[in-house]
Amino acid sequence: MSKRSRFVLILVVLAVCFAFLWPSIKWYTLTPKEDQALALGSREKIKDYSRNMAVADLRQLIEDARADKQEQVPVKFASLIKEAKKNYKAMKKPVPAVWTPRILLAAFPSESDAMSFVENEYRNRILSIKRTQASAVKLGLDLSGGMSIIIKADLEKAAAAQGDAIGNMATFKAEAMAQVLDTITSRIDKFGLSEPVVRQQGEDRIYIEIPGTADSDRINSLIMGKGMLAFHIVDQEATASFLQYLQAHPTSTFDAEYNILDKSIIPADTQVLGTYKKDAYGIDERTGFLVIKKAIGLEGKHIKSAESRRDDMGRPVVNFILDSEGTGIFGDLTSNNVKESLAIVSDGKIKSHAVINEAIPGGSVQISGFSADEAENIKAVLRTAWLNVPLQLENQQVIGASMGEEAIRQGMWAICGGLAAVFVFMLMYYKGAGINAVVAQVLNFYIMFSVLSALNLTLSLSSIAGMILTIGMAVDANVIVFERIKDELRLKKGRQASIEAGFDHAFWAIMDSNITTFIAAIFLSQLGTGSIKGFAYSLAIGVVSSVFTALVVSKLMFNFNTDVMKNKNVSISWRVK
Amino acid sequence: MKKTIKFSKAFLPAVIISSILIVSGLAGYFTKGVNLGLDFQAGFIEKVRIAPTALSLSYSGSQSVNVSQSSAGIDLVVTGVSSDNQTFSFPYAQYPTVGDFASAVVSVPGVTVNTEASATTALKAIFPDSSALARLSAEPYRFHYVPEGIAAISSDEIREAISSLPDAAVQVIGSPSDRFFQIRLEDDGTDPEASQNLRVGLNSILGEKWGEENIAIVGTDFVGSRFSSSLASQAFWLVLATLILIWGYCSIRFRWDFAVGGVLAIMHDAIIMVAFIVWTRMPFNSTTIAAILTILGYSINDTVVIFDRIRENMRFHPEMTITEILDLSQTEILGRTIITTATTMLAVLSLFIFTTGDMKDFALALLVGMVSGVYSTIYIASAFISFVSRFRKDRGIETERKKAVKPLVSGEVV
Repeated sequence: MSKRSRFVLILVVLAVCFAFLWPSIKWYTLTPKEDQALALGSREKIKDYSRNMAVADLRQLIEDARADKQEQVPVKFASLIKEAKKNYKAMKKPVPAVWTPRILLAAFPSESDAMSFVENEYRNRILSIKRTQASAVKLGLDLSGGMSIIIKADLEKAAAAQGDAIGNMATFKAEAMAQVLDTITSRIDKFGLSEPVVRQQGEDRIYIEIPGTADSDRINSLIMGKGMLAFHIVDQEATASFLQYLQAHPTSTFDAEYNILDKSIIPADTQVLGTYKKDAYGIDERTGFLVIKKAIGLEGKHIKSAESRRDDMGRPVVNFILDSEGTGIFGDLTSNNVKESLAIVSDGKIKSHAVINEAIPGGSVQISGFSADEAENIKAVLRTAWLNVPLQLENQQVIGASMGEEAIRQGMWAICGGLAAVFVFMLMYYKGAGINAVVAQVLNFYIMFSVLSALNLTLSLSSIAGMILTIGMAVDANVIVFERIKDELRLKKGRQASIEAGFDHAFWAIMDSNITTFIAAIFLSQLGTGSIKGFAYSLAIGVVSSVFTALVVSKLMFNFNTDVMKNKNVSISWRVK
Repeated sequence: MKKTIKFSKAFLPAVIISSILIVSGLAGYFTKGVNLGLDFQAGFIEKVRIAPTALSLSYSGSQSVNVSQSSAGIDLVVTGVSSDNQTFSFPYAQYPTVGDFASAVVSVPGVTVNTEASATTALKAIFPDSSALARLSAEPYRFHYVPEGIAAISSDEIREAISSLPDAAVQVIGSPSDRFFQIRLEDDGTDPEASQNLRVGLNSILGEKWGEENIAIVGTDFVGSRFSSSLASQAFWLVLATLILIWGYCSIRFRWDFAVGGVLAIMHDAIIMVAFIVWTRMPFNSTTIAAILTILGYSINDTVVIFDRIRENMRFHPEMTITEILDLSQTEILGRTIITTATTMLAVLSLFIFTTGDMKDFALALLVGMVSGVYSTIYIASAFISFVSRFRKDRGIETERKKAVKPLVSGEVV
């Protein structure tokens, strides 16, 4: 490779690494804490936030328009003005010089168009911060503090409870596991904690990570608690008055966990729950609120089976069959509440609600009035009533924030101490050539961090340990080259010849030794627990980047000193000149 | 040309010394057993401080208020579904005492504070209870502190208090006046709700004895019995697979006897480390396994560099015997071996000095493995190659000699 192309390669690598590193810099240093908190909140929170902000903005704009204010609207409407300009141009009208509230509003066909535009602006801003966070280096629980949990789902027991009803065991397990994951995700989401991680590990384990400090008792009962499916009667009058109240007090109706602040706005025997639908990505999306009676109409345990199909008219319907006790209860319930609405409530979310048209005494129930996808979802919800997968907590770790602080401090000291010791040693032992090793080392760290960031890996104390070990290993490649160059110099070769021969001879020794280490690191990364994974990943990345810095960067520095600085000797040892 | 050091003369004593070390390690393993860490032995560990409440914060309102403490100060981040999102920062530099903080924090809407420590207590010295939710609510969020001159609590007092719990082990962290303890309870696998019951049981006893508001949990760790057994077998297969792969790569790049010599050398290092872990009663957990696997990768690095030089010398010095070539190669590479190991050890030493707990053990195990790695590279791998060569028809080098048709450009032939 020519010197120029090597130089270009190094520049490209540095630029690409900076691009990888940019989201981390942006997230940790340039994003204010309250924006971080918003972006880390649940999608439901983000939606509510952008909605409320848009409503407030539009209300102000409309008031100003009514007052017929003649001055320019505030700066925060800049993007709305941009959109309005486009509309004016599309309508082939002249673009006004001063954007008064009235002119601005007139650019949109209706107020709700303007509002949904503003709402989208707010949402996109938060979502773009969220994306930055997603591609930034994340701190592991041992550094940030928080809780990690591994739960085992006892699928054998769940299958045994089903008896002969199971056709295909593999499908049953996959479905049951999907259901457990879904339930746990939705329960944790509802709690509104920042950026929880829920993922399946192996066939029957679930890994949960909740950053920040957390209350073990509440989280445990939340996750391990039994799922509860029930039918409740909807209080339509209370719902209507509640929705009116909500519209008047959009920001002060609920606290952070969607509990009602002012309990007196609904009757004492009722509660407010959100109604949910699955969005296009299969994530629960809140569509509204209903006030339901606290008293359970019928417990889910009475459901014997549920299926979805199409009725004679081709409309999707869900049928479910009740046991004999349930049939009696349901018959009474429906005959007493004809023309009332019945809600299916699972884990504090209303999954569906339908009007009772007539008393249903037979124990076979049919509900209709939704799309085929929704019918599938409702069937899945009803199944949770009798498909019970026992969960067992296998591993739980709570790391206090103070422990995390301490770990960060220790890690920083260890890295600085290690780097300083190695730098001093290399400069003293290899004199001028030591500078190459130091530069290579610094670049090494830069590349390691950016690759960690690009691969979305977590930075933990063990990955810091991996980096520290890499300091030593990375120096090795430099040492092999330097020793080779010294060998050549002893034979009275010139500077250029010694350097070229030194690098040539060292090449395979470096490759062989680092490939074997790489193999070990890759295997290490396959060992289950997170801490070892972090260590192995940073070791593997460090091995690759150290080969690059030793063979490409360090050589270019030697060449630069030969060609540009016109050095004749190599400053590499106290003895060999 | 430097004088060649006759490493080969020490092959026999080295093998004998290694064998003694390995046998003593095995003896230790069978007589004393391994001090299994939490990863391999089901149980519950809690790090807890018994310290009075300094102040508590509570909140009522529609926002979500998160508290975080860092080395710079205490932050309250207020977010909600409307425009009043804000961060309130209370740096220690500006609010050095609890009193300063308490009078300032009430400026955050909806937040109330209840101070119990004296107003002059340093704000830096207070710490939160990790088991509380960092989002403020009506339930008070407590910060704790250790007042000047408070009586120390010995580990015996704790042990006595929790004597009703089976197989409890108590350890003091720091000095006794810090009132910082690590308590470990065992899980015999009979209770399916062990995680919950052990934690609640321990905390209620501590709460009864010292007052619930005086208990600050720093961290907890629970490993169930089924989890630990799956990790052990996984670790075993992983070590084996790593050895096989390294052997495979070396067989392709070098000769089979080099590959076996290399793998023997790194197995030697792994066993020496296990012996060290057994005799020092260091807890054996996933971090220790990581240390062993790291040494497998690190030590083979050393060994491969020497193999590379041996092969090269075989081609350049056809007149030498295998023993002479081994000695020559070792001598030539000795500088590199020492410097590389020294720099890596400097880095790991820094890790050893600045960290505590598992990481410190990890660094110590690595240091031992590195020393063993240098030694095994020089003596074990080479001794094996020299031993095998005695039985080879080509005396170990003739095949390589034939490959050296044209000499590579190197100083050695000049």
